[in-house]
Amino acid sequence: MMLRIHRRMSRRVLVGAAGVLAVVTTAVLSGCGAGGGAPAAGDDSITVLVEAGGHGELQPIADQFETDTGTSVTFVELPYDGLYNRLNSEFSSGSLSFDVAALDSIWLPTFAEALTPLDDVFTDEVQSDLFPALVTEAQVDGSFVGMPAWTNSEILYYRTDLFEDPAQQANFKAQFGYDLVPPTTWEQYADVAKFFTQDTDGDGQVDIYGTDVKGAVETEWLATLSQTGEKDMVVGDDGTVSLGDEDSLEALDFYTSLLPYAPSGAAQLDWAGSQNLFNQGQVAMMRFWAHAYKQIPADSAVAGNVGVMTMVGGPGGVAGVPGAWYLSVPAGTSKQEKALEFVQYAYDHNELSVDTDLGLASRISVLEQYQDKPGYENYKPLIDTLNAESTIPRPANPKWQEIVDSALIPMIQKAVVPGADNQKLLDDAKAQVESIIE
Amino acid sequence: MNGLETTRVSSRAILWVALVLLVVLYGFPFLYMLFTSFKTPLETIAVPPTVLPSTWTIENYTSAIGRDGVVASFINSVVTAVLSTAISLVLALPAAYAVTRFRTRFGRFFIVGALVMRMVPPIVIGVPMIGIFRSLGISDTSLALAIAHATISLPLSIWLMSSFFEAVPEELEEAAKIDGASRLGALWRVVLPVTAGGIAVTAIFAFLASWNEFLFALLLTATRSQTTPIVIANFQTQFGLDWGAMTALAVLYSVPVILLALVLQRHIVAGLTAGAVKG
Repeated sequence: MMLRIHRRMSRRVLVGAAGVLAVVTTAVLSGCGAGGGAPAAGDDSITVLVEAGGHGELQPIADQFETDTGTSVTFVELPYDGLYNRLNSEFSSGSLSFDVAALDSIWLPTFAEALTPLDDVFTDEVQSDLFPALVTEAQVDGSFVGMPAWTNSEILYYRTDLFEDPAQQANFKAQFGYDLVPPTTWEQYADVAKFFTQDTDGDGQVDIYGTDVKGAVETEWLATLSQTGEKDMVVGDDGTVSLGDEDSLEALDFYTSLLPYAPSGAAQLDWAGSQNLFNQGQVAMMRFWAHAYKQIPADSAVAGNVGVMTMVGGPGGVAGVPGAWYLSVPAGTSKQEKALEFVQYAYDHNELSVDTDLGLASRISVLEQYQDKPGYENYKPLIDTLNAESTIPRPANPKWQEIVDSALIPMIQKAVVPGADNQKLLDDAKAQVESIIE
Repeated sequence: MNGLETTRVSSRAILWVALVLLVVLYGFPFLYMLFTSFKTPLETIAVPPTVLPSTWTIENYTSAIGRDGVVASFINSVVTAVLSTAISLVLALPAAYAVTRFRTRFGRFFIVGALVMRMVPPIVIGVPMIGIFRSLGISDTSLALAIAHATISLPLSIWLMSSFFEAVPEELEEAAKIDGASRLGALWRVVLPVTAGGIAVTAIFAFLASWNEFLFALLLTATRSQTTPIVIANFQTQFGLDWGAMTALAVLYSVPVILLALVLQRHIVAGLTAGAVKG
């Protein structure tokens, strides 16, 4: 009996082992891998590493590039954090799987040494068609290492149904003594945020808030910092850390003063959460990246009732944080010529990015060409915000990502807790940033 | 009902309540993900969130499946996980057998060394692997990724199989040898069938380690061998988060594993309890 069972089991194991062996053999012989096309190994193809959300911006350019030059472009999409890790690992190992990479602006200083200089591409004509902050940002140690593929900035979103409501307008004027208009200054923004924090059905609960306050991201506070007129964003060119100074305190105080007019849970609120709140009609205003204008769902509570304006201004004027992505060519790729050709082509055909999911471009001339057309109402505020004198790029510091993750975001998250000591938080963050860049 | 019976019933009731709470605790995130996958895009981002969809739709599933590379990534995940499991078992079975049967000093050193390998952060071996696989000409293949995954599952597989082999009385092998079997024959005809449950458990652990792995897949794959965890992560971009499609794909991706666990449930239970009581 035992022997029979063992024989039966033995046969099962044998069949199982044979099956596994067959799979292994098949997979090995078939070259392993079912996805996409073949890797870009030939001379007539290049591979572009890109964050998943930005792939759509480049696809029309890649399609046209292939038609015009015969060179096919294969995209490798990765999640945002994963892209950084992948780049870091490949540059560290010296073994590259891509010929062009789309890099977030804040990564350029980190990877600059491994990138091919693009100085020849950045002619005077090219530079004059790019926003000043982008020209500054594209340079690391005096050499251009990335060509902006598209750019972004926070602008002001507001609900036109609320702002154009005669009853709201009358109430606002009675309460604040001036007309209800989309705010352009901190003071107006705070007034409007306070005004629209309302209990609309009289049940004692707030039904709509004036604004949101984001605690889980840093860029909005950085824009607020620039709006004070601060010329060094956190870290100056000489390595001086400006956190804790008068401007940074003023920025943090204003940022957190809006908490009473924002939904709870600010410490955990990030971009996705903020966008959801606005699209659900839960806040009257939102400061957000310009691309969101095209992403308002047709069945959203605010669809058709959204206006956009230039980012608000503080004591130092209007300011945003440029959020550009750059095309860079790794020095280690053997397809330098093709890769550089693609970068130049992407610049020359920048207008192809306009009709995509994000609908962003990087050239001033392209944005200006579309700014008055229906559906592109976000372009003018974007242009004005990026052209504002106080709009400056984030510091060209290779440790910037670490500064953001370890010092800035934790500081903001603590600051949006009621009763926080902002000066102490800034001082602590300053010490931390100094230890990071030491 | 006397006092003893009352106490017994109360204890069972408390136990059942605790079990139900535990199941709810573990099951709720998955159920929430399942329900979210059937919500409309707008309802997936509703504030405050809803548990059950007000309108059921399969739109997220069609959207997720229709996305470029999703089906291919599924195939890649299956091929990679099967390959990785096969590599782990083919290497772990003889290694564990040798360690448990020969009991040499080197064997003891080896098995501790295998455990130490589990303590090395994957990123440390991930970076050199990029160069190694490229020089071998197998970068961006399921084989390369499976080998990388085997570095995760192999130590655990060796340890698991060692405990299962340990539970098999050596007398069984002796009996087979008396009947004329060689050591290899005894291993093949007697030990492996007896430890089939253990092998199933080890295979499942190895399979799951590969199925859900993210970091190596991120570092070592591109267009040809990208697995589904990377594709799922790609639904969250810097510019938005497609909750509906993401949860739909996550549900689909968990189905094969759930089926596998159900099919092999008997072996898993048998394997996990094997060796618990030595006779």
